[in-house]
Amino acid sequence: MRLSLLLGLTGLGLMIAAPLGLPPFAMTLLTELVILGLFAMSLDLMVGYTRLVSFGHAAAYGLGAYASGYLLLNTQTPLPFVVILAALLTGVIALGVGWVCTQATGVSFSMLTLAFAQLLYAIAFKWTSVTGGSDGLAGIPRRPGPLGLTALTTKAGFYYFALGCLVIAFLFCKVLVSSPFGAVLRGIRENEAKTLALGYNTRLYKIAVVAISYALGGLAGALYAPFAGFANTELLFWLFSGQVLIMVIVGGSGTLIGPILGAAFFMMLEHQLSSYTEAWALFFGLVFIAFVLFAPEGIWGLISRWGRRGAVAEVKGGQHG
Amino acid sequence: MADTAVNAALGAAVNTAAGSGSSATVAAEPLLQLDGLTKRYGALVAVDNVSMQVADGEVRAVIGPNGAGKTTLFHLITGVVKPTMGRVRFAGEDITGLPAHRICQRGLSRTFQLTSLFPEMSARENTTLAAQARHPRRWQPFGGSGVFSQARAVGDAALEQLGLAHVADRPAGLLSHGDQRLLEVAMAMSQQPKVLLLDEPTQGLSVEETAQAVDTLARFLDKARVTVLLVEHDMEVVFRLAHKITVLHRGGVIADGAPAAVKADARVQEAYLGGMD
Repeated sequence: MRLSLLLGLTGLGLMIAAPLGLPPFAMTLLTELVILGLFAMSLDLMVGYTRLVSFGHAAAYGLGAYASGYLLLNTQTPLPFVVILAALLTGVIALGVGWVCTQATGVSFSMLTLAFAQLLYAIAFKWTSVTGGSDGLAGIPRRPGPLGLTALTTKAGFYYFALGCLVIAFLFCKVLVSSPFGAVLRGIRENEAKTLALGYNTRLYKIAVVAISYALGGLAGALYAPFAGFANTELLFWLFSGQVLIMVIVGGSGTLIGPILGAAFFMMLEHQLSSYTEAWALFFGLVFIAFVLFAPEGIWGLISRWGRRGAVAEVKGGQHG
Repeated sequence: MADTAVNAALGAAVNTAAGSGSSATVAAEPLLQLDGLTKRYGALVAVDNVSMQVADGEVRAVIGPNGAGKTTLFHLITGVVKPTMGRVRFAGEDITGLPAHRICQRGLSRTFQLTSLFPEMSARENTTLAAQARHPRRWQPFGGSGVFSQARAVGDAALEQLGLAHVADRPAGLLSHGDQRLLEVAMAMSQQPKVLLLDEPTQGLSVEETAQAVDTLARFLDKARVTVLLVEHDMEVVFRLAHKITVLHRGGVIADGAPAAVKADARVQEAYLGGMD
């Protein structure tokens, strides 16, 4: 616990200091990492804490991105309000998604989430007047609004804004999973039938966690649209849903911080491998298989295991000395 | 003033009337009552017109050979399965067809025939989560140290009752099979139920484990004074624990009464006891 706090704070310190020393190109990558990390963390609430495996989490990201893109292009709403509105909208829609998908469990649940994402994908293609069809929405501005937040339009300013969103979302999730509500989610993860038999209305808890998870995923998407300046159907594609699931599992599900590391690992690997080979996804697939087979607890699990061993060794060393 | 007095007098009169008029039925109304409960799966009648009662404070066993409909009966009472016909009354209210979690919240807690726990959580976390289900702020999405500490206190008392205090911090999945069975009972007791439903509490245990678990259960039932409905096919367990016995055969009730009387009943011997030999 102490180790994870120390590592977390060190990481946060580095993230805060980053704009001082990094070239603009690296800043762009780092901002994308923060946004992807937030996205992966949002999925962890479902996958890691409730064992609700979504194959369609791109739906949340795409919804947030399109909502924020649309608002920024067509209204005068300042950026901070836009991302909040987009996240709320995604969460409200997810109440319906959750209501439908939680009629089923297991693989059927996953398939229903995938179906929803594909439905949105199709809508984004056809509803040209709002979504721009296959062109998507382009030229999305980072509108600072009247509050003097002009820094949002700069690279570093937007980076800090995204980082702030990530930190707030992380603390929110941390409080949530440590609460009585979070304890019920763990119950559902380990034995849903028993949780129901104890008198918990498990379906309501599942719908709630789907809505929260999608809202935070929507927040990530809402940040991405003004960051990249565009939103297109790629953001809703099933491939992206699969990638974020891999980030969560490789990073370490059920830890919140792990999926953020998973997102970093994914981006780094994609970046490095794609400069050597076209078939980078193949190699990434091998890495993924290796994780599932040899380190199912993920990157963060490896780090904390190493930390615990260090602590034990220290105690033993102390006894000998 | 006058109105209040009149109302009070009226209220008292109504109460007396209700009391005297039906005092016999009210006083005698059992905690749990099944009326003509029936469950059909197509042509198969799993539970056939079962009527029975469980009085407050009683330990009643439902026995019968495998396939007699015992577990289906449990599912019908706890709302897991909806009956084809008949009613379930609990504490004076009709609970037929309510969702399982509602029925549980009214004070019917059950254990499962096949052990059902949260294997990665400690025994204490298991009972705490069970107790939390009875807390009005069980769903609170922030903080919750108050909820947790109250639930933990109730859960710890239940662990103590079932003799599990010494394994409280061990993961439930690593407990001995006997302790896992008892932990399920402790979880049900953490909910401070009005009626405790035990579905074959010694299922899957070895002879020695069964003897130990039954000893612990008998001691616990002596002290706890909780109303119990027990489903079991191990006759020794039943005669050791139950005050009253209902015998099911092919989905219907064939005998009902004190253990000695049931044991002596010719139809029971034919259908069940005799069949064992």
